[in-house]
Amino acid sequence: MSFKEALESGKFVVTAEVGPPKGTDISEMLHHIELLKGKVEAINFTDNQSAVMRMNSLAGCAIAVEHGVEPILQMTCRDRNRIGLQSDLLGAYALGVKSVLCMTGDHVSAGDHKGAKPVYDVESVQLLRIVDSLNNGRDMAGNELKGGTDFFQGGVVTPEANPLEPQLIKFEKKIKAGARFFQTQAVYDIEKFREFMKYARNFPVKVLAGLVVLKSAGMANFLNNYVPGIKVPQELIAELKAAGKGKGLDKGIDICARHIRQIRDEGICDGVHIMAIGIEDKVPEIMERAGL
Amino acid sequence: MIISRKRDFQELLENIKNYKSFFLIGCSECASLCGTGSEKEVKELAETLKSEGKEVTGGIVAKTGCQVLGTKKELKAYKDEVNSAECLLVMSCGAGTQTAVELFEDKPVYATNDSLFLGNMTRFQVFDERCSMCGKCILDKTGGICPITTCPKGLLNGPCGGMKDGHCEVGPDIPCAWVRIYERMKKLDKLEELTGSVFDARDWSTGQSPRAFSAREKKGK
Repeated sequence: MSFKEALESGKFVVTAEVGPPKGTDISEMLHHIELLKGKVEAINFTDNQSAVMRMNSLAGCAIAVEHGVEPILQMTCRDRNRIGLQSDLLGAYALGVKSVLCMTGDHVSAGDHKGAKPVYDVESVQLLRIVDSLNNGRDMAGNELKGGTDFFQGGVVTPEANPLEPQLIKFEKKIKAGARFFQTQAVYDIEKFREFMKYARNFPVKVLAGLVVLKSAGMANFLNNYVPGIKVPQELIAELKAAGKGKGLDKGIDICARHIRQIRDEGICDGVHIMAIGIEDKVPEIMERAGL
Repeated sequence: MIISRKRDFQELLENIKNYKSFFLIGCSECASLCGTGSEKEVKELAETLKSEGKEVTGGIVAKTGCQVLGTKKELKAYKDEVNSAECLLVMSCGAGTQTAVELFEDKPVYATNDSLFLGNMTRFQVFDERCSMCGKCILDKTGGICPITTCPKGLLNGPCGGMKDGHCEVGPDIPCAWVRIYERMKKLDKLEELTGSVFDARDWSTGQSPRAFSAREKKGK
């Protein structure tokens, strides 16, 4: 069953995230692909995440296809203009990529090539529209394609954005532009996320809750202070602190597993997207503790 | 106005190290307001160059340095001073510098300033950028606030995931353009104009350099 079919079947879907290497040594990425194979429905391959230059998402996706794992191509608008984006989308489809996550992309000022010229010829909403056009056999200029695509396209939403309303307006625009699924920015306050889902359920889209494993109270504070759109509630920080020295990660995995169980058991959304950033090895354990 | 900033003086000295005599051209418009090309700065640079052992044959503050014909006319009165200088130093924006390049084919011309952006002066000699002259104005659709210029990503459909408490991911002192647009439209009771439809991809060819334009009416046939 493909990622799209799994979501459409009503199955509780789990996806995970893998960052391609900074370099050509793909052994660690292969290890993570093999580790997650058969456990998650699909793996997102990040696109020069945080504007740090790495191997491209497309290569990661193609390697995953080769190893029998369904990839989700993350595509940002930071590094390519409309010609490059469409060209890569056609190439991705030919290489067996079926799902694409459209995003605007972190600004180059966040990354390791700060003098780079940011592109942003188009942005996330418009990229979704481009994918929709390719799916209809035409490029965005209206030219007919010799063979179109049949992508399952999605976007990102930040349920904890402050202020939230402009973000929701954009969420609705993404749906108008053709988004069929969403993977959210990391959520930690499940009650607040439930409120968001009550609203999101008004639209014909599937939503996977983004989860980032907390490794310590320090990490939680860092996320709260520096990462936009993330709010770790004080109770969770207290829980991590109470776990004691050296036990933070274990507690963080517990919290993540507990959230997955709650989201699944209470049918809050359609699945979860685990962003394990640096501890991809722990994803099977998280899933096990969540009873998946 | 066009915002300009004085280049590092040591860098300028390095650029002009092979020349001994100079004629200086300031500008009474933007560069004067920026403090980079008024009478005062022209005099100061002349003094500094002299103290470095250079010769200054003369100087002028052009009325509008980017106005080629007007500047040409003004410089006629300084023919001898210009001729006796090995090199021209232009104290305006890059447009003014290139006026001098056009007028004096045989003379080296150096710029004393960096040209920064089209800016609004918010306090005396404090500037910020609100318009990037992209060639096709969308202000009517965004509450009069330009997201192409004031959002570092030039987003057209709302804030990105990097917005934090109304500020931009690029810097905490940059307000999120889309939060500002949202708040203004809400205040004007025009939110439905924002939510109505997806802003399609822009045609950036309107901003493709080099641009040229003639406002003259075509006469006769």
